[in-house]
Amino acid sequence: MRSAFTLFALCLGAACLSSAHAAPLTIFAASSLTDAFTEIGQKFDAQTGNKTVFQFAGSQALRTQLEQGAGADVFASANAAQYDPLVKAGRAATGQTFARNRLTVIAPKSSTAVKTLADLARPGVRLVLADKAVPVGSASRTAFDLITKAGTYGADFSKRVLANVVSEEPNVRQVALKIQLGQGDAAIVYVSDVTPALKKDVRTIGLPSRFNPLVSYPIGTLAASKNPAAARAFVAYVLSAEGQRVLNKWGFIRAK
Amino acid sequence: MALSAVLVAFLLLPTLVLLARGLSADFLPTLLSPVVVDALRVSVWTSGLSLLLTVLLGTPTAWLLSRRRFPGHALLETLLDLPITLPPVVAGVALLLTFGQSGVLGRPLELAGISLAFSPAAVVLALLFTSAPYYIRTARAGFSAYDPDIEAAARVDGAGGAGVFWRVTLPLTSPFLLEGLVLAWARSLGEFGATILFAGSLQGQTRTISLAIYSALESDLRPALVLSAIMVAFAFMLLLLLRVLTAGRRGG
Repeated sequence: MRSAFTLFALCLGAACLSSAHAAPLTIFAASSLTDAFTEIGQKFDAQTGNKTVFQFAGSQALRTQLEQGAGADVFASANAAQYDPLVKAGRAATGQTFARNRLTVIAPKSSTAVKTLADLARPGVRLVLADKAVPVGSASRTAFDLITKAGTYGADFSKRVLANVVSEEPNVRQVALKIQLGQGDAAIVYVSDVTPALKKDVRTIGLPSRFNPLVSYPIGTLAASKNPAAARAFVAYVLSAEGQRVLNKWGFIRAK
Repeated sequence: MALSAVLVAFLLLPTLVLLARGLSADFLPTLLSPVVVDALRVSVWTSGLSLLLTVLLGTPTAWLLSRRRFPGHALLETLLDLPITLPPVVAGVALLLTFGQSGVLGRPLELAGISLAFSPAAVVLALLFTSAPYYIRTARAGFSAYDPDIEAAARVDGAGGAGVFWRVTLPLTSPFLLEGLVLAWARSLGEFGATILFAGSLQGQTRTISLAIYSALESDLRPALVLSAIMVAFAFMLLLLLRVLTAGRRGG
């Protein structure tokens, strides 16, 4: 029994040791924010002396983890649908919109199967989307509905396009990766996902703004944060002129 | 004593919690929901097919490796074991670069009208790649475990090549072969990384049990819990089977 206690004490000691160091600030952020937030984090740390660590994943995955009690200080989601339930549950402060985004169609440079929007509905085209639960996946389906309603490409456009879906990925960066590797004929990602690294391997096919839902990203501090002051400072930094400049540089639309 | 109790509790508790949550009141309706049924169907089909290919191609491979010696024999044996220690996601990248739509072999295959990308066939390839080495390894051990003179004696008594294999070699090694099959099956049902990278994830097509659990966790927890509970029960069954097989091997 005594050895079990010793082990327990050792574990506790290890936990104390790690928390005695300057506690890192943990930010849960949507996959699409990977590049922009990594840069913002470096600038924020250099300015404030904090140590910021990120977990990037589909917003729906991060929300599930937070609901299961994952310890984080700030949550930045790619839509309100994955953020607001946390506010209702008392786990997150009311979200502030810090960025907006639009969708674009991407296709591998190695494939010519998709050149126009109409091609998306052509039988045999392999379309990669994010899962319905992923913000970009839900926005993609909204876009198909808007196109269908406009009637430009026929009343069954949405149905025909969805029949071409060959994979429903867990986050937007996995969607982009498939096209970057030439797997699949087309995909839908955010405009901001077409980073310089991706641009080398993909073509973009613009989605007219009347079919292109403007998505808003909310950010807020989490109730479970052990470092609420630093968490608030990070949110303020993202909303500041400097934070907005970095987001804009990475292809996001400014919040204000 | 107390230390081992801590470890035993640590190893058993999560599984028990999972079973308790998974086998809750709405087990049956969730079990019959399309998400769960589709995942079970995809997994049974793809792992079954992968297993069939493993036996058909793996048995002669293992036999040759245990009977013939040639330059680079040890190296080949080691390389064939590589997928066992290789992280599955690395296997996925390798398969994608080789058999993907713009891969080394994928492109010629596409031109020939064979499209593997995002198909159930891609799942089978991912499972075959990651699980066949378990079978080959165990089967090789089986073929090496008995004296080849027994085969020679059968031949002297007038049995033909096929006859020797079916009547002598196979009965002697079947516990090993079955054990290899069980190991390979367990591995392929748990496959995640290579499948999601190489075959993608689409319900009813390529979304196996593991992928369905991952996907369901992000929206509706219940199918994930039910599928997880099924996997626990199944994994336990496989272990029992393994015990019976290894006991039979020792007895024989």
